[in-house]
Amino acid sequence: MSKITTKKCLLISLIVSLVLIVAGAFIFGFVGFNTNSVTSDYSEIEVSYYGTKLNEQDFLDEIEKTGKDTIAEAGYKISEVKYSEEAAGGRGLFEFVLKKDLTETQSAELVASLETSLRALTVTEGEGETYHKDVYRPHYEYIWRTAIAMGVGLVLVFVYVAIRYRVGMSVTTLVASIHDVLLTLALIALLRIPMGTAVIGIAACSLILSVFMNLFVFGKMRKDFRSEERKDLPAREAVALSSSESRKGVYVTAIVAAAVLLVSGVIGAILGADLLWFMLGSLLAVGVSVYSSLVLSPAIYASVKERSDAARANKARYNYASEKKNKKAAKVADKTSEPSESVSES
Amino acid sequence: MGKKKSVVLIVLITLILAALLFLCFAPAFPLSEIGSFNALINKVDLGSDLSSGYYTVYYPEGVISKEDYERLQADYEYAKDDAEESGEAIPSDIENPEENYAAYKGIYLSNDIYEDGVVSKTFNSEFNKALRAVERRFEAKGYSDYTIRVQDDYTIRVEVPETDESPDTLFTAFGYSGGLIFSDSDKNVANKNVLMDGTSEYVKKAGVSNAGSSGYAVTIEFTKAGKAKFAEITGSLASSSTDGSGATLYIYIGDEQLMGATVSEELNQSTVYITGNYTKASAETVAAVINSVLDEDDIFDLSFEYPEYYEFAPTMGDYTALALGIALAVLAVASIIFALVKFKGMGLAHTYGFLTYLLALVLCVTLIPGIEITAGCILAVTLASAIFIGSNFHAFDCIKKEFATGKTLTASVKAGYKKCLAATLDVHIILFLISLAMYLISTGVVVFIGLVLMLAIAISAICSVALTRFYLYMFLAQPKNKIAFVGFRREETEDE
Repeated sequence: MSKITTKKCLLISLIVSLVLIVAGAFIFGFVGFNTNSVTSDYSEIEVSYYGTKLNEQDFLDEIEKTGKDTIAEAGYKISEVKYSEEAAGGRGLFEFVLKKDLTETQSAELVASLETSLRALTVTEGEGETYHKDVYRPHYEYIWRTAIAMGVGLVLVFVYVAIRYRVGMSVTTLVASIHDVLLTLALIALLRIPMGTAVIGIAACSLILSVFMNLFVFGKMRKDFRSEERKDLPAREAVALSSSESRKGVYVTAIVAAAVLLVSGVIGAILGADLLWFMLGSLLAVGVSVYSSLVLSPAIYASVKERSDAARANKARYNYASEKKNKKAAKVADKTSEPSESVSES
Repeated sequence: MGKKKSVVLIVLITLILAALLFLCFAPAFPLSEIGSFNALINKVDLGSDLSSGYYTVYYPEGVISKEDYERLQADYEYAKDDAEESGEAIPSDIENPEENYAAYKGIYLSNDIYEDGVVSKTFNSEFNKALRAVERRFEAKGYSDYTIRVQDDYTIRVEVPETDESPDTLFTAFGYSGGLIFSDSDKNVANKNVLMDGTSEYVKKAGVSNAGSSGYAVTIEFTKAGKAKFAEITGSLASSSTDGSGATLYIYIGDEQLMGATVSEELNQSTVYITGNYTKASAETVAAVINSVLDEDDIFDLSFEYPEYYEFAPTMGDYTALALGIALAVLAVASIIFALVKFKGMGLAHTYGFLTYLLALVLCVTLIPGIEITAGCILAVTLASAIFIGSNFHAFDCIKKEFATGKTLTASVKAGYKKCLAATLDVHIILFLISLAMYLISTGVVVFIGLVLMLAIAISAICSVALTRFYLYMFLAQPKNKIAFVGFRREETEDE
């Protein structure tokens, strides 16, 4: 029999997951996720220009280069450079986002040196430099409403799986999905993957992948347990056989998902970093879902099935008829005994 | 299906698909001297991660930018020089910024709120109250993606995606301070005659409704007391009109006029609809502002200014949308080639099914108003496409297995589809349920991901369960050797 469905394997899986989730929760509790450029607080140096030269790309490139060089010479690192244009005017604005915060004195010195170096570039064009400290305001309503939506989605899936499959499979899917989402988020926190609001998308992605892969395995089990060859096998053996036969499908799903994510990640690496981090987070979700659908869920479901099979066998040992049938028989017996009692009273 | 019927259907469906493909994806070209053809895909609204957006910085009363400070300084120096030359005093309206303002991080605070290096507690609490109200207003707009930052502790920087609404109108309206007032005085009157206060005692909520040919309307729902009061004020306004054409009822937020409506009769109704060339987005803005001031505790008095607003490039880069689109197209073409090579004739049915799925999805996304496509939505489409492709391939595998048991091809198709129906429906229903929950409960970018996933999954279910199967029957009516057409081979057994 496969080791995957043994109690020992279940215990080890649960301990490993629990340790990772608790460690991730601690990291998240103390320092939070490693925020990306969209959601992090940052200090920035703003350089604004207006004038006809803004239409010349060479001029803009020169300002950007001079700004970058001056900031680097002052000993500061830039994490991002943004350029925007005044919509109803002729101003262009560069924002040099710095990797660390500056004190009032440091920022004043940096702004002064930028003024000197940039003023040397142009005499006729107007220009201004300033320093800002930006603090991100989290979208709390978005976070909690999405968390509720995922919870409701999970409950709907639980009910659907309970109706279409078996209650035991439904319970296992629910446990595995919650486990997968939590473990994915914990790993993101532990590995310090830069993350913004996209973390919610990764949680949703993890939920969908987990449900999908688990149901793929349970679909195979449902089919197998009905077959003549498998229906009399011990619970753990039957579950182990079905789960090992589902591996190919789960791996194909995981490879396709990973391939799609890799493509988006490559695009992200070339064009913008946010997709790259999303890809890494989602790849973790794929890995966790494969692990849970092939290791954790079969181990949980084997225990559930073993107990339910034992309970059914115990019931069948004393009374082979179904509970419904027994109740019906008892009712019929009651009805038939009533007239004879009334006759005896009269 | 008969051969003739099959030919007619193949030609008809091919023509329809070709026309729709052209309509959806053809590159733009000039159509006449004044207009040009623009494919539907170009009309898709993109979120600020894939398309450009706007940002502004709100400066509360008493806070100015460094640039404004320097301008005040220059004005003062100029006036001072002028006064020295002419021997006259500096005009009273020109202030010396050095006396009135002090530097605070990247901004300047007036002495009224910043003294001895300490910002006044009143200003602090008023700013925080205003910040929460502004946040709620932007939240109520339901953008796919927006960002709010507090800059230098006392200014608010807001980034929103590009929409059909003027950013100027949006940023102005969301900076209004004060409560909701119904008045008959126009904006030029200094002391407005307040007919009714728009508090929660009288007003339940504001919303948006489709007004047909008039565009969209802002709806204001009244409480019982509000309904009676509104009937009273509209009745007296209507009767005050001498020529019977009606009087104007003005709706203000603080001192700023939000809208004006002509009243020609008493309006004794619990909900009023106010039209005025509103688009859906602009009506939502007005409704969001009204809803944000209905609770007395949320009304703030700090007035805001935003000196200018800027247009920024997509947050994920200029070409991310294009690159993601190309990647999606490459994956789609690869899946079609794979299907044609592996499943032959069935692959052809899959190709038609996939094109139908793709076109139906593009039509839904472009024709349903208000959908914004973000990178997350593109991933949702990819997921649904993978489910569609997987469902078709699974069905084809089932058909192949059924055929291997010795059944006829027609019986194999029927049995194969029957066998995989449960699994196909399970996957689609489960994903539909999750996306429905996301769409109905969540907000922001997830609403759009949920909506797009829901649409894509519904279309995928129809296309894989019904349409691809129909296309398969349609193509199977044509070849003489149907078995070879789908790439199957019957193993011949020899009688001994």
